[in-house]
Amino acid sequence: MTSEERDRRVLALYERVLEIEQRLIPTGLHTFGKPGVAAETVHLLAMVASFPRPELGLPALTDLIAAGLGLPPYARLLEESQSSGERMRERESVERLTRETVRRLPARGDRPEREAALWLQQRAGVPADTSLEVLAFLSGLNLRLQSNRELEGLVAALGGNYLPPGPGGDLLQNPAILPTGRNTHAVNPYAIPSALALRRAEPLTRALLERHRREAGRVPESIAMVLWGIDNIKKEGEAVAQVLWLLGVRPVRDGLNRVTEVEAIPLDELGRPRIDVVMTVSGIFRDLFASTMELLDRAVKRVAALEEPPERNFVRKHVQRQMARDRSTFQEAATRVFSNAAGNYGTNVNFMVLQSQWEDARELGDLFVKRKCFAYGRDARGRPMEGTEAQALLDSALSRVEASYQNIDSTEVGISDVDHYFEYLGGVTKAVEERSGKRPRVYLSDSLTPQSRVRTLEETLQLESRTKVLNPKWYEGMLKHGFSGVAEIEHQLTNTFGWSATADAVEDWIYDEVAETFVLDSRMLERLQSLNPHSAQTLVGRLLEASGRGFWSARPEVLRRLREVFAGLEDALEGVAP
Amino acid sequence: MNDSAPSPVRVVVFYVGSSILAPLRRAESEIREHGLELDLAAHNGGAAWSEPEWEAALEDLAGAHLVLVMHLTDSDNSRRLLEALDRFRHRHHAVIVFNCLADLMGRTRMGKLDLGRLMATLKRSGRRAARPASGLSLAHRLGTWMSELMSRRTASRSGGGAASRGGRFNSYHKLAARLPGILKFVPGAGKLRDIKNYLILYCHFLQPTPKNIRSMLLHAVKHYVPGHATLASPDPPEVRPSTGLYHPLAPELFESFSAYRDWYRAATGRSLDPRATVGLLLMRPQIVGEARRHYDGLIGAIESEGLSVVAAISTFMDNREACRAYFLEEGNGDPTPSAGGAEGRPGPRVSQVVSLTGFSFVGGPVMNDTEASVEFLRELGVPFRSLVSLDLQTIENWEQSRVGLNPVQTAMQVAIPELDGATESRLFGGVRHKSRQPEPLAERCRLIAARLAGWNRLQTAPRHGLKLALVIFCFPPNKGNLGTAADLDVFASLLEVLTRLRAEGYDIPRLQGPEELRRQVLEGNSQAWGTVANVAYRMPVEEYRSLCPHVAEIEREWGPAPGVLNASGRELMILGARLGNAFIGVQPGFGYEGDPMRMLAAQGGAPHHGFMALYSYLQKVYRADALIHVGTHGAAEFMPGKQVGLSSGCWPDRLLGAMPHLYLYSVNNPSEGTIAKRRTSAELVSYLTPPLENAGLYKGLVSMKELLSAYRNTPSESEKRQLYASIEEQSRALNLS
Repeated sequence: MTSEERDRRVLALYERVLEIEQRLIPTGLHTFGKPGVAAETVHLLAMVASFPRPELGLPALTDLIAAGLGLPPYARLLEESQSSGERMRERESVERLTRETVRRLPARGDRPEREAALWLQQRAGVPADTSLEVLAFLSGLNLRLQSNRELEGLVAALGGNYLPPGPGGDLLQNPAILPTGRNTHAVNPYAIPSALALRRAEPLTRALLERHRREAGRVPESIAMVLWGIDNIKKEGEAVAQVLWLLGVRPVRDGLNRVTEVEAIPLDELGRPRIDVVMTVSGIFRDLFASTMELLDRAVKRVAALEEPPERNFVRKHVQRQMARDRSTFQEAATRVFSNAAGNYGTNVNFMVLQSQWEDARELGDLFVKRKCFAYGRDARGRPMEGTEAQALLDSALSRVEASYQNIDSTEVGISDVDHYFEYLGGVTKAVEERSGKRPRVYLSDSLTPQSRVRTLEETLQLESRTKVLNPKWYEGMLKHGFSGVAEIEHQLTNTFGWSATADAVEDWIYDEVAETFVLDSRMLERLQSLNPHSAQTLVGRLLEASGRGFWSARPEVLRRLREVFAGLEDALEGVAP
Repeated sequence: MNDSAPSPVRVVVFYVGSSILAPLRRAESEIREHGLELDLAAHNGGAAWSEPEWEAALEDLAGAHLVLVMHLTDSDNSRRLLEALDRFRHRHHAVIVFNCLADLMGRTRMGKLDLGRLMATLKRSGRRAARPASGLSLAHRLGTWMSELMSRRTASRSGGGAASRGGRFNSYHKLAARLPGILKFVPGAGKLRDIKNYLILYCHFLQPTPKNIRSMLLHAVKHYVPGHATLASPDPPEVRPSTGLYHPLAPELFESFSAYRDWYRAATGRSLDPRATVGLLLMRPQIVGEARRHYDGLIGAIESEGLSVVAAISTFMDNREACRAYFLEEGNGDPTPSAGGAEGRPGPRVSQVVSLTGFSFVGGPVMNDTEASVEFLRELGVPFRSLVSLDLQTIENWEQSRVGLNPVQTAMQVAIPELDGATESRLFGGVRHKSRQPEPLAERCRLIAARLAGWNRLQTAPRHGLKLALVIFCFPPNKGNLGTAADLDVFASLLEVLTRLRAEGYDIPRLQGPEELRRQVLEGNSQAWGTVANVAYRMPVEEYRSLCPHVAEIEREWGPAPGVLNASGRELMILGARLGNAFIGVQPGFGYEGDPMRMLAAQGGAPHHGFMALYSYLQKVYRADALIHVGTHGAAEFMPGKQVGLSSGCWPDRLLGAMPHLYLYSVNNPSEGTIAKRRTSAELVSYLTPPLENAGLYKGLVSMKELLSAYRNTPSESEKRQLYASIEEQSRALNLS
């Protein structure tokens, strides 16, 4: 190994360690009506400060500091710090100065931002008048975090008063969610994708294709994409915009500024083939974005009808091939927008996994298809389909898929925090595996930092486990809440297990360390047992299930101990639980 | 074009909404009674036409002598219509377009008037500003007002406070009001004859009384269909007030609140107690066009609940005007912060505002100024509801639809009003297939009225007598999961909530701590019954059958009651604990979690007996005055049924009944929260997500970072080599390689 190679490897490892260290995590649960009490708000505010907010006309503090130091914008530093030690140092000094600055914004006091701005001027050459506004915004946010109006909101609504509406979302991306205690609203479906979402989706789409090219040697011909309501509300349809980019079309607004039409981007301008996208859509997206469902269906059919060479238009290639092979109509062969039957929600894959109701993992993929095989959009006569059962069409669309993909919407809701990621992205991945003969590559993207990233499922799971279930800061935060905290820890493990069941994507060491942390450590085990013996038992049972199903090669002595503990917990609960 | 007099005269009308069809049909039959053979075809173009619908429209269009297009803004439909109007150009004697976007407006052709060419010419020469009151310029303004409104909206999005923007909404209204006066000065002969005719028709259209609509048709036929010049000139348009108060029993509209109050007292024997009066906002065309049976039905239902009604004509683009005029004491009172504090500030005359317009509160059909709406409604201080009438689909279509409301209606009548803080987006009426009149959906109206009465009780009844139900979740059903919700410490939160409500006067005992509370719910007698929580009430199957009218349907899915879920012997178990006038209930699971066969069912379904029993108990045994679901999220709102615009056949509707519903919901989940809002009429009360901190490093990761930093900071190659060996070792130990 040359010294350059070694340097590069050290830098890469360093970057990974930083990624873990800087990842924001929830440290506990919220209590209704109480202000969020973080041990420190510096990291949260520093992260908020690193996003530019064009809607408020505010620059990112990190960009101001970078400019003050004569450096390129922060997002570029993040990008280039992956391959340059020098850039890494510069990035870290911007981050340090950002933290130092927000630390100078006490939550109380008269215009605390003045002092911080002057300090910043002195230390980083940022003219005070350029930073005052963003610092005032940050200190205002800090102040608002110290109070809470939720009980007042409840009392008002219960007394039959008007409860003002507020946007939904997370603090990082939309500080306008404060104050809470308001009536959260969604968005006007015709407004999406917004111009901003369209702009942000383009580099992310490119990164996705680039990542796959790096892994597989070429761009995927077909991607299975999971669409949810939550990220599309928060980011004004960024995932919808990603689909449109992949297909190589642009949204068109009508005279009333509604997105109702698409136009194809010429191939030469696109500079790559049009990618086929199979959309498996949550029942919630279907309900909230009914008009978008029609737009997406129209986009696919528009692209499939373009007279373009098959190697540059994979949608057309697949549609034509399917029409020739199965004698299916254009309409059938171009069906790509699938969801539940009308009035039904969810894949049930999560229930099947949580309740251990499956024998063969194939059942999970089949269940996914069974629940999600209802086609939406318009039929050949232009009539709304309202969920037409089309299992064979979903089967054949999935059989061509090479990559499955979804966006993570927020820091609080990661892929092992809730059972919905594995039921959807895991479910479709398993379904593809059975239908194409090969597990597709699985990607997730997040924009939780100013640099949107595309990671593989495996990378994401490692990051999630390291920052949450294995991280004392996370689990001790949860355990402060006693009974519910133990349930949260169990849910983390169970949702991680869901990724074994659906995608076999969990490495042994994760289970090893979970067992070590929560079961083999007898003091920890005692704590769990005294706080919530039911969840403690489920947790141990889940580890045994992971081993029993062959997802984890546990050391024999570990297994023995787990069985012992499980039996002990069962005895203790005997007569207590059904 | 054939210049001989056609018979019958064929007119095709493209319209949107539920108000115009009634006067059109009435006009058609009256004209025929007077001996003019007139065939009128009408097509609602609010939502994109399917092929069969378009084929029918196209057939009528191909054979028409006169074409009228009103309010059509759907882009697919507009595109198709533009193309077809050009294709059949030579068959139509005149094409008359009102209130559409510029492209379609430009297809207006009457005699020598070609509005498209006129608009293009004026735009080029910049003449329109020169003589603002001229007929030419008026025609131009009518042709472009919608488009202009849009471009101004787009421009104003980046800046300008809500207050500064309020005024622009009314320019169209003012123009409409002034139009008849201005018209007197437009010469009716010569070059301007056709422009004047267009403006005359427009005046009729703005006052869509049955008589005016008849006159509009006759005027168009007389002047533009050959052979009918001898028809008598129709009367000038009759004018109805632009605002006012409506009541189905009243002979006419009231222009002042006091006149209405006096009449109301005399006619109904009831006063307009502001604490028990519901303020409605109605669409003017429906009132003027006598297409208002759906309004009448709803008003009747509300009055049957013992509430009074003040029904004001919506001031369309900006409902603040109607509210100021009729829902606030001192009619012209201005509910802004500058009007001062509680003292001397005009108080509301109504306890709830219910919009039946289907549009945003400020901004009307083409935009929404949420900021201005919220500012006003917050000051007004009473809840804002927005109900839905089917304007773009028939009642039959809704009944048969698995989806419920179509996408256009959902966006316009549900999603946009929600931005203003509107709740209870329920359906109250619509138009049946082949019918011309909107009608109330009686059962829906009764439910809405009962819900409004429920909210009213929460406002006015003594608090210590109000019964609250707080429902928590336990999913998957296992004792360890009792009281779990996304991001929320449920029992600590319950304690906060109950303590506060006690302080607010609700009858709730003093509580000790979250652990005691949890034990009361989780343990109690649960061991004896083998349940996940305390059994608060045992409902015999006979009682369940008498309380719940849907048992037979549930039995088709789940077998004979009581079944095996939340049941024991012949009884259904209601889990939870009673604390004074607060009942803490535990929602059962979907019931199919543990049943692979049921999980495979992709369509239909029903809640199980135990699930239904809990909500029957809350509605009819405990008789909760308000239902509060605690935390994100439960299963009731995901039960089968239509997606939005639910019917009495939908399970979420049956579960919740008329109970006012609040839902403590994570602010981070607007999407699932919105499902609860739309399918169970939940008013969400958002809660914050947990505090965020950086993950930091722990155990071996700490020394790993130290090693890496040391490597990066040392200039010595030999030291680097040594460090690298440790790094490799450590990264293997940490599974980082």
